[in-house]
Amino acid sequence: MRKKALVVDDNGNNLMLEKDLLEVAGFEVFEAENASNGIAVAGREKPDIIIMDVRLPDMRGSEAARILRQDKETRDIPIVFVTASVMTEGREELKNITNTGFIGKPINTRTFAKEISQFIK
Amino acid sequence: MFRKRTVTKSQEYSENIIDTVREPLIVLDQDLRVVTVSRSFYEVFKVKPKETVGQLIYDLGNKQWDIPKLRELLETILPQKATFDNYEVEHDFATIGRRIMLLNARQIQRGAEKERIILLAIEDITERKEIEAGLEKTRKELAAIKISEDEAREYSESMIDTVREPLIVLDQALRVVTASRSFYVVFKVKPEETVGQLIYDLGNKQWNIPKLRELLETILPQKTTFDNYEVEHDFAAIGRRIMLLNARQIKRVSGKERIILLAIEDITERREIEDGLEKAHEELKELAAELERTARVKSEFLANMSHELRTPLNSINGFSEVLYDETFGPLNEKQKKYVNNVLTSGKHLLLLINQILDMAKVEAGKMKLALSGLPMKCLLNEISLLVADMVSKKKLQMLLEIAEDLPDIEADELKVKEIIYNLLSNAVKFTPEGGKLGMRAKKAGSGIEVTVWDTGVGIAPENMGKIFEGFFRVDTPYSRVTEGTGLGLPLSRKLVELHGGKLTVESEGLNKGALIRFTLPIISREGV
Repeated sequence: MRKKALVVDDNGNNLMLEKDLLEVAGFEVFEAENASNGIAVAGREKPDIIIMDVRLPDMRGSEAARILRQDKETRDIPIVFVTASVMTEGREELKNITNTGFIGKPINTRTFAKEISQFIK
Repeated sequence: MFRKRTVTKSQEYSENIIDTVREPLIVLDQDLRVVTVSRSFYEVFKVKPKETVGQLIYDLGNKQWDIPKLRELLETILPQKATFDNYEVEHDFATIGRRIMLLNARQIQRGAEKERIILLAIEDITERKEIEAGLEKTRKELAAIKISEDEAREYSESMIDTVREPLIVLDQALRVVTASRSFYVVFKVKPEETVGQLIYDLGNKQWNIPKLRELLETILPQKTTFDNYEVEHDFAAIGRRIMLLNARQIKRVSGKERIILLAIEDITERREIEDGLEKAHEELKELAAELERTARVKSEFLANMSHELRTPLNSINGFSEVLYDETFGPLNEKQKKYVNNVLTSGKHLLLLINQILDMAKVEAGKMKLALSGLPMKCLLNEISLLVADMVSKKKLQMLLEIAEDLPDIEADELKVKEIIYNLLSNAVKFTPEGGKLGMRAKKAGSGIEVTVWDTGVGIAPENMGKIFEGFFRVDTPYSRVTEGTGLGLPLSRKLVELHGGKLTVESEGLNKGALIRFTLPIISREGV
């Protein structure tokens, strides 16, 4: 049974790169270009992991994560934030969300899928 | 008989007079023996009639009356003059003490026998004299007071003239009694148009100031003293002035007349300076706020820039890396070389962004150290291995001299590695093929000292200051390279300083190699 991964990123190129890397690593990948769609797909598909950008068009990634944590269907899905906001200020809003990871952009394509897999129990 | 009776009667009459007069009176015969004395004589001089009448005057009361001046009067002056007024005699009587007497003498002929008798009236003026002396003393004292009052007046007037601040003295009717020299100077008025004038009328009614009226007419009568009453007024002669008024209402020494002392301090300039300072202070505060805002904007800008540059870099580096790795199919040699160039440039750009951000962070004081124990000998060898490839590619010779007793230190591992890597890679970059470079490390005082040296292009003396400015790169045939950001050395120095160490550069000149020495304390503390 293939692991399911949900990638939420409004940048088409990044979305494609991450999807390709994860598919090569054997994931079944779902995509969303904004937080609302991401939350909807997460509720429907119940992925093993969610990879999410922090700056999304409709809300902050931290806000989307809070919504996901309130729903018992998605509450326990690990979330890995992949963000270009690598400065410490950018991480501040993410530190109180449980079961999350952090990968800074640009990603290392050679280790990306492995890093993601480590967050799945 | 009749005559005898008349004489007797007249004698009685005289004796009545004698007894009635308040002053002691004594009647002497030609031999200066007492014929009769008045009752008051006995009272005043405390003698009795039986030891008096018939006695020589000088022998009275145990010869108390043997007074040289009395002898002079009775024996020398009176025979010649027959009458004598207000002859003053001072004498110390045994019974009544020191007395001052005023003697009035009359030598008259009595009866048909023409015998002469002397009437001597003795006025005891001791008390009167005392009163007079007291009066004289009082008069003298009063004169002295007058003198000291004059002196005091002179003194206070010189004081008034001496003080820098204009001072004006007013009487109860608010007319000018006197004004200090400075008053005339400051307010450009003349004494003759000032003294005696109502203060409000001074200098063409320039002084008719509502606040001054309030002070003098309303406040002062109630308070008698007033400090630092501020008045601003536009004077015709000297323009707008701000004055500080100090007033005292005092009673004059003599009489109940009151005067008002009014000191006028012109604080216009002082106020201008104060206002200027206040304004400067405000401007400084605004500037500080502006600077703070600028710093925040800069910080936000850098965060945004970093984010915005990383997003496309994620694609550039990510896709080129995937292509280079041939994840989705093989590339020909040229394609692979080109895509590697894209990747290398992308990574260079990323390094640049990271270093700029780090510089900004250090400068903003936001760079934090994550301290941990560092095994230095190990760490130095490890970093030297990172440049080993480049060293062998350029056929360089690298010498490591790491002291056996080099202690471990406590510092930020990533930053220490970055410092050493920056210095070693610079040495490699700026040393032409066949050259030498090396690293020495030893214990130095309470820390360690690391030296990275090379035989490369060196630094011209005129460029010594520039190498820490950022983006400066020594332009030589060997070093015109796209690798390197020009930020490695300045950033390294800042990171060393952040640990509490020092970084210095030495070079004998162009093409004479360079030596970079830095120190790190055994235990670093936060802060530069």
